Amino acid sequence: MNRRAGIGFYVFLVVFVFLVMFPFIWVFLTSIKTPGEIFSSFRWFTNNPSLESYEAALTNRPLLRYMLNSFVVSALTTILALVFASLTSYALTRLPIKGKGLILGLVLAASMFPQIAIISPMFNLITDLGLRNSYLGLVIPYITISLPLAIWILATFFQKIPFELEESAKLDGASPFQTFRKIIFPLAAPGVFTTGILVFIAAWNEYLFALTINSDDLWRTVPVGISMYQSQYSIPWGDISAATVIVTIPIVILVLLFQRRIVSGLTSGSVKE
Amino acid sequence: MGNRKTPRFQLNEKQLGYAMVIPSLILVIVVVLWPVAQSFWNSLFDYRLNDPARSQLMLDSNIDLENYVDNHFYITKQLEGLESAADSDEAKSTVAAIEEGVNKYHSKLLSNEEIKAKVEKVDKLLMNFQPVTNPDLKYTKVDNDLAADYRKALKSYEADLVAIAESSGDEAVAQKFEQTADLLGSTSETILESNFIGLANYGKYLQDARMWRSIWNTTFFTVISVALELVLGLGIALLINRAFKGRGLVRASVLIPWAIPTAVAAMMWGFLFDGQSGIVGHYLEVLHIIPDASWLLSTSEGGMFSIILADVWKTTPYMALLLLAGLQTIPNSLYEASDVDGANKIQQFWRITMPLLKSSILVALLFRTLDAFRVFDLIYVLTGGGPANATESISIYAYKTLFAQQNFGEGSVLSVIVFLCVAIISFVYVKLIGSELFAGRTK
Repeated sequence: MNRRAGIGFYVFLVVFVFLVMFPFIWVFLTSIKTPGEIFSSFRWFTNNPSLESYEAALTNRPLLRYMLNSFVVSALTTILALVFASLTSYALTRLPIKGKGLILGLVLAASMFPQIAIISPMFNLITDLGLRNSYLGLVIPYITISLPLAIWILATFFQKIPFELEESAKLDGASPFQTFRKIIFPLAAPGVFTTGILVFIAAWNEYLFALTINSDDLWRTVPVGISMYQSQYSIPWGDISAATVIVTIPIVILVLLFQRRIVSGLTSGSVKE
Repeated sequence: MGNRKTPRFQLNEKQLGYAMVIPSLILVIVVVLWPVAQSFWNSLFDYRLNDPARSQLMLDSNIDLENYVDNHFYITKQLEGLESAADSDEAKSTVAAIEEGVNKYHSKLLSNEEIKAKVEKVDKLLMNFQPVTNPDLKYTKVDNDLAADYRKALKSYEADLVAIAESSGDEAVAQKFEQTADLLGSTSETILESNFIGLANYGKYLQDARMWRSIWNTTFFTVISVALELVLGLGIALLINRAFKGRGLVRASVLIPWAIPTAVAAMMWGFLFDGQSGIVGHYLEVLHIIPDASWLLSTSEGGMFSIILADVWKTTPYMALLLLAGLQTIPNSLYEASDVDGANKIQQFWRITMPLLKSSILVALLFRTLDAFRVFDLIYVLTGGGPANATESISIYAYKTLFAQQNFGEGSVLSVIVFLCVAIISFVYVKLIGSELFAGRTK
């Protein structure tokens, strides 16, 4: 449906993008107001921009520590998931094993399981292992989210690589594992990278496990840390706005750099090509 | 595949395939299947983390030997002391009866060789003032009937002694009796009866109004927000499915709400919806769409409206992306051919676009419906389930029971209910989608 885009269309686009971005715009404009102004007026632009809220956001709570925690946990989760998932998806798509449908069904089912049904035994397990308030204490439960997601997306990428390559590698005397390591895996690298981004974002955004398992303030991740800025008695909207801007910037950069990959990864599971 | 120079052990394709699948399978079983099974199991017990007598799953009755043996040592001594201190014959005979009873139950307990051996070991440790660290030694299984009888007997002895203490005129004597009564009472607490209650918790929750309310809230939220996201997402996808300048900008702006953590989005919307300084509440009030700005987060309808709006904002772009990808696989020639045949746009939409987009829509709906039904962080951060539980989803209710009340038995019942609902929803969708779900993944 390649219709030409008219002026009305661009007006629609501008309105659409504005509506989608409006919360970010407003939160950014709030973050540079002085605390007094936030509570007294609904003016869009402040006359005397200040960084007071940013200073408060960084000093009242260990926001940079939250970001470090989130980064370490998400990175470890991503690496683990990619290692296990690339082996499994390769076997599922390209090697002659039995029960593929069953295994994929299990993986899909695992990704649909509600986290709330897993949380209490997982909480007991992590407590018994003495891993509460540690990075590993979150990486283990995050496998429940990351591994099925990674297998599911990677399987489509492996499927797209031509099967003739294996045939010729076989003829040249490569062992099955050599074929995987030297021929197929390098070709799938862009897909693996894309999967990595999606798994990283999923781990970065997780809330329920992080909330229950890492309850010590020094070990909180970004989503939990941000939600703890509000106290029972007051809600420091200035701090919250500034903190939101700070934690959103890395995500904006990630999205701007890799938007094509993210879209291809997101849609790979839903469209037949 | 032979390697002439260095014959090494090599896996053939099939063996390698299994070797590559097994690690992930084990992980999935350990971190997903086992915990869900454990939740089912936990839900059959009266299991509370904050109650020492019920903080473990006990199919059989147990005795806390460390405390029991320690207490028993003092009981015998104190009872002998009481017999001589008692000021009436009646009291004397009661004490004697208690002594006899305790001895009877104690020897019954020791008639089990295993328990007897354990008791001797614990005794030795206690004599040397050493703690009992081995859990197998500290707790021992005991016959259910014996445990129940002994516990009941100790309780009634406690009551007997309290009665004597109250009727006694001599204060010193009364105090002695009270002390022993306390000791008997605490000894009865060392006998832990089985907390296996079968399906009783389920019966309780099936009649629980709050549970049904939270199921209704979750269903309402899921149906309304997913329906809105589908309609809006499809509209946006149809509109932007064409060549235009600035695709990259639109794509990025669509991806950012999807990429930010739900908790962060919920905090932002919490600010926009705020009754005093929230801009959305303010504008809606000025436009007379809502009665006043505080309506959004302080009334039942407002709370539900707020979480649905925030969810639609966060996930409509994602839905549009999925559907756009589906639209782009429909060949243009189909539309051209129908143009020649004189079909109008509406006919084209219903006869060409919808049938060919059906599987994309169903897959997108499957994932969105499940996500929406499991909703936790958005509601937890934005409204906390309030006001007055009006926005409490079933996951929130389960979380509160599990971690705020520390009631792992009842909380597990609720999480099993979430699990069953999700299983039913997936089953229906997978039936609708059929084998296409796996297309493109296996040969």
